[in-house]
Amino acid sequence: MGEVSHKSVKPLQVNPFKLSQPMGATLAFLGVDGCMPLMHGGQGCTSFTKVFYTRHFCEPIAIQTTAVTDAIAVLDGGDYSIVESVKNICKKVSPSLIGLHTTGLPETKGDDIGGVSSQVDYPLVYVNTPDYEGGLESGWALTCKAIIEQLVEPSEAVNDNKLVLLPHVSLQPIEVEKIKQFIEGFGFNVLALPDLSTSLDGHLGDKQASLSSGGISVEEIKMLGDAGLVISVGDSMQTSAAALLKNNPAMRHRHFAHLHGLEATDALAELLLAETGFSAPPIPVARWRQRLQDAMLDSHFSLGQTRFLVVAEPDQIAGICQSLYDAGGQVTVAIPTVDSPQLEKIRAEKVLVGDLEDAEHLADDYDLIVGNFHCEALAHRLDKGLVLRGFPNWEQVGNPLKNDVLYEGGAYFLFECANAATALRAHLAAG
Amino acid sequence: MSQKPKIKELLDESACAHNKTRTQACNAPTPGATTGGCAFEGAQISLFPYADAAHLVHGPMTCLASSWETRATQTDWPGRDLTQMGFTTDISLSDVVFSGEEKLTKAIDYIMTHYSPEAVFVYATCVTAMIGDDLDLICKQAADKHGVPMVPVHAPGFVGSKNLGSRLGGEAVLLNLIGTLEPETTTPFDINLIGEYNVTGDMWQYAHLLDELGIRILSTLSGNGRIADIRCAHRARLNVIVCAKSLISLTRKMQERYGIPQVSLSFYGKRDTSAGLLAIAEALGNLDLIARTKALILREEAKLEEKLKPYRALFAGKKAVLNTGGNKTWSIAAALQDLGIEVVATAVKKATEDDREKARQTLGRDGVLMMNPGVEQAKLIEEKGAHLLLAGGRSLYTAIKKGIAFADVNQEKKKSYGGYEGLLNLAEDLKHALQNPVFTLAARRAPWEK
Repeated sequence: MGEVSHKSVKPLQVNPFKLSQPMGATLAFLGVDGCMPLMHGGQGCTSFTKVFYTRHFCEPIAIQTTAVTDAIAVLDGGDYSIVESVKNICKKVSPSLIGLHTTGLPETKGDDIGGVSSQVDYPLVYVNTPDYEGGLESGWALTCKAIIEQLVEPSEAVNDNKLVLLPHVSLQPIEVEKIKQFIEGFGFNVLALPDLSTSLDGHLGDKQASLSSGGISVEEIKMLGDAGLVISVGDSMQTSAAALLKNNPAMRHRHFAHLHGLEATDALAELLLAETGFSAPPIPVARWRQRLQDAMLDSHFSLGQTRFLVVAEPDQIAGICQSLYDAGGQVTVAIPTVDSPQLEKIRAEKVLVGDLEDAEHLADDYDLIVGNFHCEALAHRLDKGLVLRGFPNWEQVGNPLKNDVLYEGGAYFLFECANAATALRAHLAAG
Repeated sequence: MSQKPKIKELLDESACAHNKTRTQACNAPTPGATTGGCAFEGAQISLFPYADAAHLVHGPMTCLASSWETRATQTDWPGRDLTQMGFTTDISLSDVVFSGEEKLTKAIDYIMTHYSPEAVFVYATCVTAMIGDDLDLICKQAADKHGVPMVPVHAPGFVGSKNLGSRLGGEAVLLNLIGTLEPETTTPFDINLIGEYNVTGDMWQYAHLLDELGIRILSTLSGNGRIADIRCAHRARLNVIVCAKSLISLTRKMQERYGIPQVSLSFYGKRDTSAGLLAIAEALGNLDLIARTKALILREEAKLEEKLKPYRALFAGKKAVLNTGGNKTWSIAAALQDLGIEVVATAVKKATEDDREKARQTLGRDGVLMMNPGVEQAKLIEEKGAHLLLAGGRSLYTAIKKGIAFADVNQEKKKSYGGYEGLLNLAEDLKHALQNPVFTLAARRAPWEK
């Protein structure tokens, strides 16, 4: 692993790709079936977030705002805004859960949302997610933890067949589904928290939903306490796993920093084999492993001569960099949005928390960028290749179905990167 | 004295037709039942298109992270397009506790050193307004130090809606930029374009026609705008407000202060574009110009008719239901009519009294103005036998259920429908929508559901 810089020294962010905690919280609540995320703050935070995800997923996004105004900010400790909001939401729809999360505004004035929530006579989970701390990943993780702490009922029974998957924020809906299916192939009953794979996977339903239209149900969440095994994916999810384990001393936990690439998937398969006592995985799993090995060999020539810049949330960077590294790709620069324990583990020559201006300054160090929509202008200006990953991607359709994980997704991902790198070289050679 | 504008005064706009009927409550959003952007977003929309100025958002991450590079406002500014760059102080907990002023000053210095913009707009946000960072003082110090205008924009999200924010953006320009520079030359046909943001190059659909007529765009707020130009805006002969009620306070004040008259118009569809060009010529009051404008309109309309010929047969007898808001409730309706499509209903739920009146005029006696489009549109499609639904993405389901074509009205954010030429873009997109088999296929039942 290379040189790591945990903090930017600049007084500002220039061309940021960092996203905020409340935005991560919203997304986590959208992985709960029939939920209405309620963002506590000015109406703009909610409006921005709604548009942001609508454009990324090409799906309607359920969310409401407590619509704090300057006048209310001075007079109200959140009681009025929150209680009124719940009342008004319930006039129109009947959510299974209200997902209350804060922004910088109420946190600055010190609203006691825990106190207010106890006055609300409706199923509600609250979480403090000021946008002047953390980022997308921590907002998602804090919310997952809050859901666990406030909803899961303690248990002493253990259902060895029941497995809880805690995925990090950057896993797209299809990736969560693929991981669930992989584990289900070994005979487990898998519940993901949060579960975007059935809510924001871009399915055409019967009608327009005004609440999240899929995800794990509140009832299922309450009953997670008897699961025999918990699998967390992404270092940001460790605290959620710890919170879940508190509900049942017999529950066991296994953590994966990511599930990208051959070795991580091997480790998951090994675990599941050991748990089940099976001697071999389901046939398609073995087949996909062979395809990934072949994909690594087929793509190694192109990837081996390509230098990469990867910008993303820390948990996603860790996985992407490992995938590329395994097939010979040289990740010269990795720029995570925020600090994380993952940083030391990232397979890159240089890791620095920063922004896209930093990426621009290091332009001589890489040929191809793996990053979000904001990297497009950068790639264009600097004549770099681009593989779009991460939030947001407003440029392309089909984001919820992009799969980079496990044997199968890993193969597709390497092909996409190798082809992009080859196309780039052809483009540059043509002048 | 603080530069912070008095919100109450701004909300009490004498030039607004509906001013007398509005109540105080209009401004207060309902918790848990509010949609739409905040004042900060409104200010951003009205000022971000200045590509030669840096736009520094003093706040936490949500404000900029979800809003930069969201609008396709185009510019031919030869330098780096700063509109499409994001600058934010990304304040942290310690800034909230100990003030973010020092960070802000350093951020401005950084921007001046690395990007040398013609000005810096510094946007307050809810959190930095709450903690009381003194933007006015910091901007004044920075302007003295760097010798370019530093414009504090006091439109933190929680003061109100997007519309109010646009007004606040206009106020900031009026207070800090307009009248601070003299133009090198002036002409009798100098105009300011106010509220034209050149989204997808809308402005360029008609700017060349103005140029041909000898009408000079002295400055804009703010499409393809230049800071040096808007500083000279007080020398224009006419303010042209393009589809933007929010900036009416600005033009009224410019009228009071500099004696500049104003016209309000739209360049959406054939009739509006023609009427708009003529309105500008008439307001400038030169008979020769008016005659030349009329000739140009005849020529352009004939040219357009020729180009629309291939579409006429396809659109003949077609009926559309329109579900959108604001001035689009009637301006898109008019454009559809220009294409030969009958508009049988338009939603007016999210429209001002003024817009509803215009919608009524546009649709005529038989057209339906929908006050509750969510419920009404499906019924009306059936009753009226509509072939096409133009609406936001949420209404896609309605079109599929009814088995008719759907076009996303927000497509105009990606492609220009403005001016004469833009109508051809609209025609092309509607043709594709009407011919696309996807809407019936998407409604097809699965074999196991039959």
